[in-house]
Amino acid sequence: MAVYKRRYNPYRGSLTPEWPRFFVLTRYAFADLFKSRFFVLLLVLSLVPSLLFAVYIFIANNKTVQLLMQLRSADLFSVESQYFTIIMIVQTQIAFLLNCWVGPVLIAGDLTNGALPLFLSRPFSRADYVLGKLAVLGLLLSAVTWVPCLLLFSLEAGLAKGGWIWSHLWMLVPIVLCSAIWILMLSLISLAVSAWVKLRIVATGVIFISFFIPAGLGEMYNSIMGSYWGRLLNFSYMFRLILAKGFREGPGFLGSLGWNEIPVAAAWGVLIFVCLLSLVILNARLRAREVVRG
Amino acid sequence: MMNPTIELDGLEVQLGNRTILDGLTGVLKSRAIGLLGPNGAGKSTLINTLLGFHSPSKGSARVLGLDSHTSGKALRSLVGYMPENDAFISKMSGVRFVRYMAEISGLPRNQAMERAHEAFVYVGLGEARYRPVGTYSLGMKQLAKFAQAIAHGPKVLILDEPTNGMDPPARKRLIELIREIREASDICLLLSSHLLRDVEETCDEVLILRNGQIASISNLVEERRANRKFLELETIGAEATFTSTLEGLGCECAVFANGRIKVVMPESVEIREVFKVAADRGVQIRRMNHRRDSLEDIFLSAMEQTGAPDGRL
Repeated sequence: MAVYKRRYNPYRGSLTPEWPRFFVLTRYAFADLFKSRFFVLLLVLSLVPSLLFAVYIFIANNKTVQLLMQLRSADLFSVESQYFTIIMIVQTQIAFLLNCWVGPVLIAGDLTNGALPLFLSRPFSRADYVLGKLAVLGLLLSAVTWVPCLLLFSLEAGLAKGGWIWSHLWMLVPIVLCSAIWILMLSLISLAVSAWVKLRIVATGVIFISFFIPAGLGEMYNSIMGSYWGRLLNFSYMFRLILAKGFREGPGFLGSLGWNEIPVAAAWGVLIFVCLLSLVILNARLRAREVVRG
Repeated sequence: MMNPTIELDGLEVQLGNRTILDGLTGVLKSRAIGLLGPNGAGKSTLINTLLGFHSPSKGSARVLGLDSHTSGKALRSLVGYMPENDAFISKMSGVRFVRYMAEISGLPRNQAMERAHEAFVYVGLGEARYRPVGTYSLGMKQLAKFAQAIAHGPKVLILDEPTNGMDPPARKRLIELIREIREASDICLLLSSHLLRDVEETCDEVLILRNGQIASISNLVEERRANRKFLELETIGAEATFTSTLEGLGCECAVFANGRIKVVMPESVEIREVFKVAADRGVQIRRMNHRRDSLEDIFLSAMEQTGAPDGRL
């Protein structure tokens, strides 16, 4: 099939291994994303807080700079578990915004003009397809959550003295685990929305709604029934609960929502349930052919 | 021994509560198979089942010996599929779209790029390859779909209504490409079309479906070989000597009222010999209709009658 010959020749070359082929989707999605200046700006802005946190860690560990800035060590917030919890909260909120921009276009673009059968008529399963799209959000959101958090942890470990790293090594677990569940939940929700809603603006709205409407309904339930179990519908709160427990923080950390009796296992259960629900929705939508029941 | 291209063994597919394919049984051995049938006959469902998109509720379907249900992935690694409906990513340039699909089929990056360019030039869209597919005309989109189906060099090419929405020259060009691919490689072809001409020009064997059942499996090569030429004549002045002379040449003649004569001609006899006999005998031929049994006859016959249990006419 050489161009100059204009003749069909069968392909006789080598093939790539099957298992990493889902990365083709990821690679193409990233290539498309980085064509957008707005996305690049958003990504850069989302890394700015991490930079500020790093500057703070540097100042907190550098007596000379403190003297130059006329700061006393006592005035500075100590870089302990609470500091990393704040970093995590800030970065996961940024991840939420980034996800709202990127997630809605990932599947909708393929579904709009019926490209899905082309993917699925190849040695490529629906699981591969979802994995490929999930990897886009997984890598992107990791870049603004646990990766900068671990880098900040390393920075603090490097600058602090007196075996700080050994006494705080346990924090690696909540940093990675809490980020993982948040990233997974956000990614699956936005993929599920992307599979149903074609317009980006509407899909972004639906993602926001899927967080705020259940939370509002839960608070209504609490007010009417005098209960606190309605909070189970507040996914952000459930995440903060997991985060606070993971970083061994006290009740003050949950801000105006306050501490309550919801066990952390229930919070995990809710987030996992949301993930499973999103998978069910994806499974229903990602079909090579729609079957009209009747 | 080479596996048959398609084997259907009591294949039944139910979608919802409806039985779409009802106990299809048959073996298709040719390298180019046409799939015919009226709307709703189950052609697309059969293709989707062969691709593993639908699971059989009973029976099985095999392509080149691979079960569509249990060896779906292995089977799909051999397939190039051009769906009937729109199937593209509108914002991607044509060549990037084909390259993307080729990479998913397992071609390394550089080879995928090379093959995508080649496929685009091959189908005649070389000039438009850097334009987003969404801006293509309907015919160009069909060609882009065709390009993505052949770029990775499949062993089985499944084309669902490939000439839909194409103007006659574009249709002719695509049919030529399909024939050329068929002849230039050992590729197996399954072509579903409403247009009998498309199937007739590209396929060796035809599977005709009706109401989810096999109405006929017909080997077009054998049919073509077996079919005889017919002449329907309207004559003035034809006498018994005219027909007896034609019979002397090996023709079979049937004489009807008003000078109408039906002549079944052997392959060795040319039409000009009939004219010559008519001129010698002073017979005026006022009208002549020359035809062979075509796929249309086979199709219409299949639609009218119930076939044998295995569907062969």
